[in-house]
Amino acid sequence: MQKYLSRHNFYTLLDTLISGGIRVVAPRMTAGIPLYGPLGESVEMVLDQLPRRSAKEAFFPVCEDIMSYEKEGQQVRLTDVEPASFPETVLVGVRPCDAAAIPVLDGVFSWDYKDEFFLERRRKTTVIGLACTSADDACFCTAVGLSPADTRGSDLFLTPLADGGYLCDVCSDKGEALVADTINLFSEPGSSTPLPLAAPSVPAFDLKKVKGWLDGHFEDPLWDGTALRCVGCGACAFVCPACHCFDIVDEGTEKSGKRRKSWDACGFWKFTHHASGHNPRDKQPKRYRNRIMHKFKYYDDKFGQTLCTGCGRCVRICPVGIDIAAIVTEINGMAIECTPAGGETRS
Amino acid sequence: MCDHTNRNIYLPHLVTVTDIIDETPDVRTLRLVFQDEQLRGNFSFRAGQFAEYSAFGAGESTFCIASSPTRSGYIECCFRSVGRVTEELRRLEVGDTMGVRGPYGNSFPLEQFYGKNLVFVAGGIALPPLRTLIWNCLDLRDRFGDITIVYGARTEADLVYKRELAEWQERADVRLVKTVDPGGSSPSWDGQVGFVPTVLGEAAPAAENSIALVCGPPVMIKFTLPVLENLGFSDDQVYTTLENRMKCGLGKCGRCNVGNVYVCKDGPVFTARQVKGMPMEF
Repeated sequence: MQKYLSRHNFYTLLDTLISGGIRVVAPRMTAGIPLYGPLGESVEMVLDQLPRRSAKEAFFPVCEDIMSYEKEGQQVRLTDVEPASFPETVLVGVRPCDAAAIPVLDGVFSWDYKDEFFLERRRKTTVIGLACTSADDACFCTAVGLSPADTRGSDLFLTPLADGGYLCDVCSDKGEALVADTINLFSEPGSSTPLPLAAPSVPAFDLKKVKGWLDGHFEDPLWDGTALRCVGCGACAFVCPACHCFDIVDEGTEKSGKRRKSWDACGFWKFTHHASGHNPRDKQPKRYRNRIMHKFKYYDDKFGQTLCTGCGRCVRICPVGIDIAAIVTEINGMAIECTPAGGETRS
Repeated sequence: MCDHTNRNIYLPHLVTVTDIIDETPDVRTLRLVFQDEQLRGNFSFRAGQFAEYSAFGAGESTFCIASSPTRSGYIECCFRSVGRVTEELRRLEVGDTMGVRGPYGNSFPLEQFYGKNLVFVAGGIALPPLRTLIWNCLDLRDRFGDITIVYGARTEADLVYKRELAEWQERADVRLVKTVDPGGSSPSWDGQVGFVPTVLGEAAPAAENSIALVCGPPVMIKFTLPVLENLGFSDDQVYTTLENRMKCGLGKCGRCNVGNVYVCKDGPVFTARQVKGMPMEF
């Protein structure tokens, strides 16, 4: 189902939701940088820049309380966090690379044990995606099988039109319900043409062959060559829409405090450091190898998906210029080179 | 005992410390009883599984459940004080409250060991993950063949479960071979002197109809596996547990993986064949 939403009505829609008590999260300027955050009113929304961090924090906050403790003598009282208290949220202006990462993360947070902190927010959040009409040289969504108009992970998906309005694709029941609730703001699609979509320039990876190469190259000179310069700052993981590693830490006093779940990064040396002093990933290239392996092999082995949506944030933010797209392009080249003649052809 | 309901999977159960045993100057056993009466009766686990232990205000640490599933009403953990959480756990006194999440991970396939001879090989602080299985088997003694325990530590002082070593030594249905590294013995030492792999080779337990269970520091495991191979053990007859750093224990937080194997979910118990199939990242 497609609808037309004028620019004016788009903003009216958000203000209607806000005044109706719905939490509307969208890119907004925070201390001079665009980040996803709750809007006070629709005009705070900034749609012309990719937020510095991804939309995953709407489901998986940088740091969140998972319980609190109070000690009284020899007794301890624990207070649970009630996931039912998470607010109904509409997440707006989500780029396809960010939106697509959300269902990818369902894999890890819902297999076996269910992480209700993530899953309850998922249930309570409606995602309004936004097609990209511009890309920079770090964007590579098309290289990992997505596109600037990919609706994966979006409940409604907006494509900017030449008249300033949007073509609105209804992609799920949740999206349909939101449109039904505010149907007077939508009309039938008219004659205005969509703006040209962004065109990232990185050639497509053959993800199957990349994974095939990784299957056989845990040990390879590539890792030292690409990652000796990695300073282990972890910034790539913190801006990534798909990195999901976390730490669990207590913050408080002897008497009372909170236990918190905080983003962590496999680039940190301490991430795998044993109490004995032994560290299975004792050198930076081993840690960087894990990053690539996790994204393009392990997550696929486990959940059948690639843990990278090509947003390019890690490329932009890396202080030493490590470019994941360039590395996977190199792997892609080696993978194709070592595919025997008569073997599988590129799909 | 996986709980797959929509509760908070990170919320620990409260337990009371009912007993404290100093195994070595820096290794301590805590006996823990669940404060929830129902859980006290229902908590079940299998030998080899682990838990996340909380010292509230300091955080959580991962240790195996060191007591046997055959001993109900309590669980035990055993740890060396080396960090923030373990230092805090060490400050606990009898009657104090701490937290436990678990049991997590896979376990030793005990039923497959019925009728077989068992050879336990452990070094230092790595006896607890085997001690749960040793007592499990001793409590069901007639289901197993010969039981051999080869255990060593750097020095006499570093041997854990000293009272139980004495008990095993007394038992006619257990063969205990205890050893300390060269230089680690006192004049009154009544065991062997030598490294665990060497002593295991000299003890030469028969491989036929046997299972070897090996737990120790990486260097001990590295040198023990070829000894077992020489004795005729196949890689499917040898089990070990991997002890990677963990936080969640639930297959989410992303740090315990060895290649695509999640130690917290796919392990911690693996056969030597499985371990040899993994990339060298443990």
